[in-house]
Amino acid sequence: MNATPSKPIPQPHERIRLIGTPVGRMVRIDDFGDEIDPLQREQLHAYGLSAAHAVKVLQQQPMTVLLCEHVELAIEHAVSRHIWVQPA
Amino acid sequence: MDCATSPSPATAAVLRTLALVGHPNVGKSVLFHRLTGTYVTVSNYPGTTVEVSRATPRFDREASLLDTPGVLALPSRSDDERATMRALLNEDMRTLIQVGDAKNLRRTLNLTALLAELGVPMVMALNMTDEAKARGVTVDAGALAEALGVPVVATVATGGEGIAALTDALSRAAVPAPLLRYDPVLERDIARVEQLILANCPHPRLAARGLAILAIGRDSEVADWLAAQPGSADVRTALAELTAPTGRDTLPARLARERSSAAEALARTVTRQAAGKDRTLSMLLGRVAVHRLWGWPMLLGVLYLVYLFVGDFGASTLVGLLEEDFFGEVLNPAVTDFVTRHISTPWLADLIVGEYGLWTMGMTYALALILPIVTTFFLAFGVLEDSGYFSRLSVIANRMFAAIGLNGRAVLPMVLGLGCVTMATLTTRILHTPRERLITIYLMALAIPCSAQLGVVLGLLGGISFGATVIWVLAIVGVLLFTGWLASKVVPGKRVPLVTELPPMRMPVLGNVLKKTGGRLKWYLIEVIPLFLIGTLIMFGLDRSGALPWIIEAGKPLVVGWLGLPPEASAAFVMGFLRRDFGASGLFALQSELSMIQAVVGMVTITLFVPCIASLMMIIKEQGMKVAALMLAMIIPTAFLIGGLLNHGLRLIF
Repeated sequence: MNATPSKPIPQPHERIRLIGTPVGRMVRIDDFGDEIDPLQREQLHAYGLSAAHAVKVLQQQPMTVLLCEHVELAIEHAVSRHIWVQPA
Repeated sequence: MDCATSPSPATAAVLRTLALVGHPNVGKSVLFHRLTGTYVTVSNYPGTTVEVSRATPRFDREASLLDTPGVLALPSRSDDERATMRALLNEDMRTLIQVGDAKNLRRTLNLTALLAELGVPMVMALNMTDEAKARGVTVDAGALAEALGVPVVATVATGGEGIAALTDALSRAAVPAPLLRYDPVLERDIARVEQLILANCPHPRLAARGLAILAIGRDSEVADWLAAQPGSADVRTALAELTAPTGRDTLPARLARERSSAAEALARTVTRQAAGKDRTLSMLLGRVAVHRLWGWPMLLGVLYLVYLFVGDFGASTLVGLLEEDFFGEVLNPAVTDFVTRHISTPWLADLIVGEYGLWTMGMTYALALILPIVTTFFLAFGVLEDSGYFSRLSVIANRMFAAIGLNGRAVLPMVLGLGCVTMATLTTRILHTPRERLITIYLMALAIPCSAQLGVVLGLLGGISFGATVIWVLAIVGVLLFTGWLASKVVPGKRVPLVTELPPMRMPVLGNVLKKTGGRLKWYLIEVIPLFLIGTLIMFGLDRSGALPWIIEAGKPLVVGWLGLPPEASAAFVMGFLRRDFGASGLFALQSELSMIQAVVGMVTITLFVPCIASLMMIIKEQGMKVAALMLAMIIPTAFLIGGLLNHGLRLIF
């Protein structure tokens, strides 16, 4: 939906932040940073965001919006900044 | 907003209890309606159900079926999740019906992984299979049933598909096979706590292993239950001794991650993904609604349509027809004529059809002024909540809410507050921290007008000019943001960033919207008519005893001097103590005497005035007497302060 500036395409095994992932890209969740509150980390697991799972980035503004198995999740930048992903 | 059922644990004690459990917004309440015939409010956003509802199912008149609030995950973390956990702990639970989302089986199984450990016979209703099919998702229900060891039934609750099969399957409910073995270290801890629970305080229904997993996961309801059990000291000591395993994850997070992996593995084996439509009107609308640029014009468009329907059609056209033409020209003259001819006692006739008459004021306000407004509002509101738009508002509003120490999730109770602040106060249970709940409840009590009040405001100000309505909106939003910002500085605790699900946009079902509107109107009238009559009676008593003229005189410095309103407006504020919309109606009745500035100032002040009695009771229930008293002590001076400042400010400009 959003027009995004062209960004270098991440290479396989290159770990990037979810917040920096271009819109439309499929990525795999790699890890959650320590900055994310433990309760919120549990919440992310409960929503289905777990390691090695592929999600599609739909939008980055005003929040990061992901498609995770046909369910859209909106994640504030304060959290998506600390979610590490790899290209799927 | 309405609750057709009432908890009755005493009755439940002798009845077999079944419960619908599952994630938020997967269709539990629709299934509940299908299985019991009892309607509870159904909407397209997570958190519609925040309390357990109970009714007798059609398939077994000797049983009791519970509709529980949605749980994102267990162990429970939010108040609505805790309500579900309490039901699991305290009811004589014979069968669980897990309602799952067919298009997201992995998440459904994530919850199954925990429910399976509770040792209660279970059936799975795999709901929304129509939406899954549209997205190319197929679940092999047979293979899933085989793996779980429980019946799995595909359903489309909104269309009634699979309900008979689900009812039949209940007789085959079985305790599910565990989905996983945790890693050896965790298993050792679980086994230790499990043994202690079995030895010291076994639960009559729930398996000790499930309780141990929940307790290690720091479920506060399980902790409270354990604390209430004699002989649980050893269990609690063991739990306290459990230290987090090496690594940065806490024990609850490790448990959750292992369940998540097990759910993913099983979901992968029974789900097939074919090519589905990746661009539908629903998806397109959903994306536009949360778009950083297009989201705002869409919001303004929606608000304008609501204004046209409620403020213009409801508050002007319908109220004009009903209040002026029907009540004013036909009904009230006829009632007055009848009463004066048949009642010879002047004060009694006056009590019914006088200036503060039960009919001419109380019933006329309730039926001719408020009813058309709330009817149009509830219709518009029902359409919006069933469309899924409200959840998407949380994304748009998140940044603004960050300024007041909240996140976009708080937009849901606030928007619901525009329907009824009382029930919206209960809905704050979907918020995750006590701090968020406190700030949200305070802001709703101060600056969120309920539907009736909103309608009266739109009716009065819309009749003057669109600009007057805009000034009122800006003043109320300004107060909301400024007070929220102050509250976020004063109330201790930190803001929680927003992570939320966005349910798909759906075409509202007319039958459901009408049913909800009917239920809400019934509830509204039951609450409003007695209060309006009591309020009128009080006003009549004050007038007759000479107290009202005294109040009007005493209120002059504040009402006339500071707010710049006519002296009679004091009576409206007295009425406002009972209900804000009753007070607003009092100002509405004075409309011919009010200038634009007076109308705006009057409506801003009465909007910020004390919450209605029902809301106050709910605040006391949710936050306690002390907090409620403190809120009142801040709200009343704030209302008059803002009203006065606005009066003097507007007079400088206009």
